[in-house]
Amino acid sequence: MKNKYLFPVALFLLAIALPYIVPEFWVHVLTEILIMGLFAASFNMVFGYMGQLTFGHAAYYGVGAYTTGLLMVKANVPLLLCLPLSMLSAGLCAAVLGYFCVKLRGIYFAILTMAFGQLVYYIIFQWYSFTGGDNGLQGIVPPAFLGKAANPYYFFTLIVVAIGMIALWIISESPFGYTMRAIRDNAERTEFIGINVQRYMHLNFIIAAMFAGLAGALWGPFNRSVAPDLCNWQHSGMPVFMTVMGGPFNFLGPLIGSAIYTMLMAFVTSFTEYWPMVSGIIIILVVLLLPGGLLGLLEDKFPFLRRKDDSEKGAEE
Amino acid sequence: MDITSLFTQFLSGLTYGTILFLVAAGLSLIFGVMNILNFAHAALWLMGAYFSYTFWNLMQDYSFGFWLSIPLAGLAAAAVGWVMEVVLIKRIYKRELYEQLLITYSIALILSDTIKLTWGVTNKLIVRPEIIQKPVFIFGAPLDSYFIFVILAGAAVASGLWWFLKYTRYGHIVKAAVHSREMVAALGIPIPRIYTWVFTLGIFLAGFAGGIQAPIGSITLGMDTAIIIQAFCVVVIGGFGSLLGTLVGSLIVGEVMSFTILFWPEGAMVLIFVITAAILIVRPWGLFGTPMRT
Repeated sequence: MKNKYLFPVALFLLAIALPYIVPEFWVHVLTEILIMGLFAASFNMVFGYMGQLTFGHAAYYGVGAYTTGLLMVKANVPLLLCLPLSMLSAGLCAAVLGYFCVKLRGIYFAILTMAFGQLVYYIIFQWYSFTGGDNGLQGIVPPAFLGKAANPYYFFTLIVVAIGMIALWIISESPFGYTMRAIRDNAERTEFIGINVQRYMHLNFIIAAMFAGLAGALWGPFNRSVAPDLCNWQHSGMPVFMTVMGGPFNFLGPLIGSAIYTMLMAFVTSFTEYWPMVSGIIIILVVLLLPGGLLGLLEDKFPFLRRKDDSEKGAEE
Repeated sequence: MDITSLFTQFLSGLTYGTILFLVAAGLSLIFGVMNILNFAHAALWLMGAYFSYTFWNLMQDYSFGFWLSIPLAGLAAAAVGWVMEVVLIKRIYKRELYEQLLITYSIALILSDTIKLTWGVTNKLIVRPEIIQKPVFIFGAPLDSYFIFVILAGAAVASGLWWFLKYTRYGHIVKAAVHSREMVAALGIPIPRIYTWVFTLGIFLAGFAGGIQAPIGSITLGMDTAIIIQAFCVVVIGGFGSLLGTLVGSLIVGEVMSFTILFWPEGAMVLIFVITAAILIVRPWGLFGTPMRT
């Protein structure tokens, strides 16, 4: 219990200190790490806690990004109001699409989420009059109180992501979160003890989509624009990489994975354009050599890091 | 709208469907037998197109060079696929679904960059021989004369595969493996070797499809990212591991694309995904597939 919060708090303090130490370029990278980390953590609600692989999670991230982008550019809605509205719109999308997805399991779940993801992508891509099509939306400027420098938007992102992560943590540690683990480990038995598995999975899918929408909402003002590529299947692969790198059986795994992936990308792209090849090689090595991700490896080497209740996660299933 | 233009639309849908069939047949075979969803399939298809360009370039002085480069592209891609299977795919048959997807996805990333490194970023164009430069008219509807070859090649591959699966010993083994790998293994058939050859055959089909695709337009980087998703749709609609299903699925997707363009061009892809999602919800194993072990 004592050291349970030590690591997250240390990480948060480090996140506060870092922008004063590193050059501005890396502050941008840090902002991206946080946004993608929240995205990956929301993905892991479905993947790590519910045991289903979604390959269309970028759709909800994209819906969130476009909600904020459209509201800010076309209606001048303040950013702080856009964030909950983005969560709402992503959640509504997931309520409709997720209803069908949770009827399926395994590879069919993965393919249906991917098909729906592509559906959202093509709608955004083709609807020129509303979304700007493949031009995307430009001129999404963070509000005046955040200024033009990198640091203020970074701290804003840090606060929003921290709140988002705490909310996800509370959900994952609630009875609802443990129901999800039960469904992951054995859906049939969970059904037998009187739990409506599909309804719980649906609800979890919506929650995951809402936080993906929140992460997406932060992206537009950070990047000053949004593009339909945010929704496509390649972008849906990113949280999968990050989560697998960091460790899916650990709450902070996706965030750590985002840090590794994003920093590597920033570093590698500074001297070669062949980042996809490098990332492909890295992912293959991680999958073949580090099945539990980085945090999984650390827990194996240093057992005291392991939290009791999560120790026997379904790695062997 | 007159009947001729509808017929033109039908023919172009048929051509596109044929290309999709050639790409999806290997994908469906590989998934049906090994349960591996190969994200790298379209990258190998694109590689086949580039291989075909290279072979055509080397054999420009000969009149048969154009035609020979297509099967050679298939063989070259199959060689790459064989190496891929032996080095990497072999290790992941027993792994988790997400690990398999990540591995094939990573291979797709690596292959795409390999293509960029090998052939550069400029578009490649294969000049067709004279006999297939002019359109032909079928019942008054104009059709690119090369498309006749495409459709014939698709029909030949479909019947060849059908013959292979129905009448040869190895075809029977492959079909049996789609239904129950354990049973096939129990009969003393060396499953790992069968897997290697099924994978190589699937990739041969992808490379061959790439070779066929190459002379249609110019060959460009990134062509593969759109077609892989459409090939997935074909396989889902038709049913994993079913040759007939893949054929029907590709014709559905090809014709839907072709006719949607007449009255709702923006909606073509959207409609395809709606159909795919509907099939997955109602009949996850596809129109012609069988409910599978999970």
